[in-house]
Parts: sequence; structure tokens; C-alpha cells
Amino acid sequence: MNTPIQCPRCQAWLLEGVFNQPELVPCPACGVPLQTEIFPAFFRPINPGRAGEAVMVEGESSCFYHPQKKAVRPCDGCGRFLCALCDCEFNGQHFCPACLETGKTRGRIKNLENQRMRYDSIALALAIYPLLLFYFTLITAPISLFVAIRYWNAPRSLVHRTRIRHVAAITLALLQMTGWGLLFITLASHHRS
Amino acid sequence: MPKAEYQRLTRAQSRSGIADALMSRSSLWLGQDHLLCVDSGGFTETYKRFYFRDIQAFTLVASRRRAILNWILLVPTVPCLAWLLTILVSQPVPDRGMVITLAILTSIFALPLLINNLLGPTCTCRLRTAVQVEEVPSLCRLRRARKVLGRIRPLIAAAQGGEVPTEIISTRMRELFQTQAVTTPTEAVAGQPGAPPPAVA
Repeated sequence: MNTPIQCPRCQAWLLEGVFNQPELVPCPACGVPLQTEIFPAFFRPINPGRAGEAVMVEGESSCFYHPQKKAVRPCDGCGRFLCALCDCEFNGQHFCPACLETGKTRGRIKNLENQRMRYDSIALALAIYPLLLFYFTLITAPISLFVAIRYWNAPRSLVHRTRIRHVAAITLALLQMTGWGLLFITLASHHRS
Repeated sequence: MPKAEYQRLTRAQSRSGIADALMSRSSLWLGQDHLLCVDSGGFTETYKRFYFRDIQAFTLVASRRRAILNWILLVPTVPCLAWLLTILVSQPVPDRGMVITLAILTSIFALPLLINNLLGPTCTCRLRTAVQVEEVPSLCRLRRARKVLGRIRPLIAAAQGGEVPTEIISTRMRELFQTQAVTTPTEAVAGQPGAPPPAVA
């Protein structure tokens, strides 16, 4: 069951007069100005979880994970029979917990991903920050180039979709490596002469 | 060019708390059927999705962040500005180096002060679903929060089959409160642990 909305400051239950107002209104208990927008989902009852029916007739199809429970549908990922307890609905599809976990860990179900590594930012940081103490770039420039190329096709940020950081990292790393190369050539020619 | 999957609603903002503010920034994006809250912490991004069908409420609470920032920036701005004006007024031929230094120093504090006031009043925004109450750190300015709310309100209403009329809310809230009061354990007495918070109407 839903609990009433509370004032974030004084934790008093807000009952009326403060909802869906166009402006901030003071909390009737503590007076802090607040604006609360309520949507129909607030009044929607929370459905209890399903437990799964027991197999009553011998030979009846049963759940792969709970052989004593009646199967209600196959998993859309692996085809295994699932009981009501194991049936996880997601975006209109039905998966077993194992497929859901696999989809999450391997990034097959994009909407389940909750973290991504930003390899493009790592490559760019390796190309930029060592410039403060430029002689570090002798080591970090090749590393930056390696990271940028190695992870060129790795999943990028969900929201920043361009490869601009990759390109910037490769350009900077190549410039740094060219600079070191020129320096070594110059030093070598001076040493010979 | 394919249409972007997400549209930016807010720019990245620091999270509240000094440690969090230094470590991560949060931004809000609009997806097809959900809001995406992106927390960027250096080299990783963490995503939280809030589906329109699940969003129960938004609460905006006015905060004193702008006033605090104003004081923090005003304290160094005023002496710098006073010093600069004193030099300009008192000396017939002011020291150019000193004037430039002080002008830069003043602008370092005065510019953020100006921006802080131009962005408008600050607030904290909380988003509520059936199982969580999440703070949305990127909606920290009232004007921006209202703008975003105005944009997503029709999308949420469409996903949930319309908006709740204001006159119905009060009635249903009261019903809900009565149900809650009935289901509260009898031993829970106001002021003691386990007792419901005071109700206000």
C-alpha cells in the first residue's frame, strides 16, 4: 500500500491543499515552500507478487526451476518453462531470472544496464593530464593510443554517443609521440655531429 | 542522421554533499518511455531509469543554496571591489598592474555571483515511485525544474492514462490517510518510535 506523501523537511504527512498547485505553497506543518505534483500511479494499488500454482496432474508441464510448480509460459530468451514466480516481465517480454541476469551482465538488454565504463574519457585523460608534467607523456601517450584503439568499438556512454573523445585522444597521443620522436632524432643527430 | 535516443533535460550538476560534489555529477535525460538520471563519476557512468508509468509524484522544496552561495561569493567580492574602487578613486594615476590584478580577482568571484542570481531560486527535487524516493540533483533550480516538469507532465499523464483532478486528490488522500491510521499498530503512540508522522491538512 502507498504511504502518504511526506514533507521532505518535517516529515509530516501532506493531505490536501498542497498538491498540483502552480506555485510553491507553504507546508502546513513547518512552513517550508514546496510544490508537489501527484500522478495517477500514486493511487494505483500495488499488486502482490504471484507465487505460482502447484502441479496438480501428473505429466503437466512444470517450471524448469521449480518442478513442483505449474509452468505458465516459456522464457523468451532460452525457451525454458517458467512458473508464475520465475516469470519476469520486462518491456513486454518474459524472461527467466537467469536470462535477465545474463542480459544485464552482457549488455544484451540495454535497458537493464546501470553502469558503463567510459574508455574514451580514460584515453583522453591519459592524453591530457600528463601534459602538466610533460615527460610523463613518454609513457602515457602510447598507453592512451592503445586504450583509444583497443576500446574503439566498446559500448560508449548511453547519452554522449560521439567518438570525439576517442579521436581527440588519438590525435593528442600521436602528436606527443611525434614530438618525442623528433626530440630523439634531434638528440641523436647532435650526438653524431 | 539517426535521431538520438535520449534528449538532454538538464546539464550535469554536482550532487549535494562535498564528497559527492567532488566525485560525481548528475544529469537528466529524456528517453522514449522513461527519464534517465546519469551520474558521472570520472570514468564510469551510472544510470537510473524512472519509467513514466511508475512515477507517482514530484516534490520540489525551496532550498537556501542560492543564499548560501551568495554569501560565500559576496564575502571575497566586496573587499576586492572596494579595494579596486579605492585605488581608482584615490590615485590620480592608478597602478595599472594592481588595477588589472584586482579586476581579475573581483571578476573571479563576481561572475559566479551574477550567474548564481541569474539562474534563479534553488530547490531540491524528489521523485517518488512505489518503491523509492530519489533526489534528482540536476533539478536544483526552481525555474529549470518547472520547465522540465512542464515537459514531462504530459508524457507521464499519457503513460498513466491522464492526470488526477485536483479536487479528487484531497478526497483520495484523506481516504488513504484513514486507511493508514487504521493499519498503524495500536501500540504506536504519537511521539514514540513507530508512530506515524503528524498529519497536516
